[in-house]
Order: sequence, then structure tokens, then C-alpha cells
Amino acid sequence: MRVIAIFLAIVLFVLGILYGLGKVNAFTESGAQHPHHVTHMVVLWALALLCVIWARFQSAPRR
Amino acid sequence: MVLALLQGVSELFPISSLGHTILIPAALQWKNIDRSNPSFLAFVVVLHIGTALALVVFYRKEWAAIVRALFASIVRGKTSDDRDERIGWRLVIGTIPVGILGVIFEVPVRKLFGSPAPAALFLMANGLLMFLGEFLRRRQHASGAAYKPIEALGYPASVAIGFAQSFALLPGISRSGISMVAGLLCDLDHENAARYSFLLATPVILAAGLLEIPKLFAPGAHLVLIQAILGGIAAGIAAYLSVAFLTRYFRSNDLRPFGWYCVVVGAIFFLLARKGVIT
Repeated sequence: MRVIAIFLAIVLFVLGILYGLGKVNAFTESGAQHPHHVTHMVVLWALALLCVIWARFQSAPRR
Repeated sequence: MVLALLQGVSELFPISSLGHTILIPAALQWKNIDRSNPSFLAFVVVLHIGTALALVVFYRKEWAAIVRALFASIVRGKTSDDRDERIGWRLVIGTIPVGILGVIFEVPVRKLFGSPAPAALFLMANGLLMFLGEFLRRRQHASGAAYKPIEALGYPASVAIGFAQSFALLPGISRSGISMVAGLLCDLDHENAARYSFLLATPVILAAGLLEIPKLFAPGAHLVLIQAILGGIAAGIAAYLSVAFLTRYFRSNDLRPFGWYCVVVGAIFFLLARKGVIT
């Protein structure tokens, strides 16, 4: 599970960068410079952060 | 100022702020409102931030405890039975659906349904949902089954409530109303369903406001900056008073009066829209 969480975090982070750069336009309103790209980037990074936290919970020593 | 007060009150009352900000300006024939105008967008951003800050201030002790507990849990690398931590993780999990669905569907939904007739129809549906929620809650607890505290909610229930909140993207469907109905169906009582709904709404409203901050710096936005700041303060005060009233109200009352309001007002506006009186 930890590997999946880290993999997902990386994918989401990279996808966020691509949205930020305007290379990906799916689910956005219009052209590359539109602020919705920033919204998508921030949401994807937030999800990536949650995946990192998920990985952290998977790696803690179990009782 | 009227729009600011309307936003502050209707964002937290289960009557849909988005629906009202479409229907009321249409009814009052405010022709000078251009929803794509940078100055209007900047105004709306500040109203949202004002509303969210009011919620943060109202629940400040609770938020401080939740954030502390969440950080402690992350540092520890495991969850515990701490009440604030359990509520915190449920809020995090519950916010994910609206975060994802919001960025995907906000724009197409606004384009499809951002006019008075659909907003009025959804407002009626919002009222009917509240009646349905109350009916199902009474049936669920007819045998005397106990209500749960928020921290006893399961993760699937948290996701379900968060998913329900996503329907508030539809103008006329109330964020607090639908998440309260979902909370009631997940065995929360009215007081806890309202509290959970307001806590769940806070990061969403705040994030929606903060993410739109660049619009404050768009050309032309500065023209209304003073009005926007005054509007934000008015919306914040209205929101604070609303949440203070609603948390008291839901200690001993239910959603039905709001259901009646939504059905009646929605029906009137729908008829007006059909007859072309409001557009």
C-alpha cells in the first residue's frame, strides 16, 4: 500500500505541474493561462499531499 | 451591501446561497450585474473569504484542537481514538469528494444551470430533499435507535456526507442543507449534523475564496476594492450571526421550516421565470 500511495502522490504532483504549465487542459474552462489551471494544480497537489500522509501512515511501526 | 448580507446569511442557512445570488438579482432587475466582470468576481471572492473567516472565528477553539490533533497524528504516523483527531480525519476525507468534483464540474454546471429557472427548480428540489431527509430520519429512529456523535461516524459515512455536499455545485441546492440531510441519515442528530456541516463547509468555502484571490488583481478589479472589503466584512458579520443562530436553532428544531421556504420560494421564482418576468 505504501508503494501505491507514493506512486499516486508522484503522479498527482506531476499532473499538477502539467496543469500549472497549461500542458493539460482536461476539465478546464479555456486557454492555457486561465486561472482554472491554477485551481486544478492546487487541488492535485493537495491530493498528492494526502497520498504522502497516507504513505506515512503505512510506514509507521505497528504495535 | 444587500448582496453581501444575502451571501453571508444564505451561505449557512440551508437555502442555497448560489441559488439566491442568481434569483434575487434577477427578481430585483439588477441589470448592471455582469457575472463575468472582473470587479464583480473580485467582490464575490471577498464575500466568500469573509464568510469562511466568520466560520473559522466561530469554531476557532474546535479548529485549533482539530489542527493540533491532525498534526500530532501525522507526526506519530498513526491514528488514535482522540476525539478531535477522529473529527479532523473525517473532515479531511469528507472534503476530498467536493474538491475533486468541484474542479471537474463547477464550470459546466454553472454554464448549464446558472439561470433563474433551473436555480428555482433546484431550490424546490432542495426543499423536498429536506422533507425526505426528515422523514427518513424519523423512520430510522422510530424504534428509539440512538444518535451518534460526530467522532463515531465511519469513514464511508464521512465520504457519503462529503459526496452529498458536492451536489451544492447545483445552484439552488444548499451545501449546509444537503450535508445536514446526509448527516441525519448517517445517524447524527440535528445539532451535530449542523456542526459537522459547518465544519465541513469551512475549508471548502475558504479554499474557494483563496484560490480565486488572483481575480482581485485582475485589471478593473481595484475599482470595487473598498466596496468588496466592506461587503466582505458585512458578509462575515452576517455569517457569524447566522451560524450562532443556527447552532442554537438546531438544538431543538429541524429542517422542515427551511424545506417549506425553499419549496414555496422556488415555486414562485420558477413561475416568474416561466412567464418571463425574471430572466
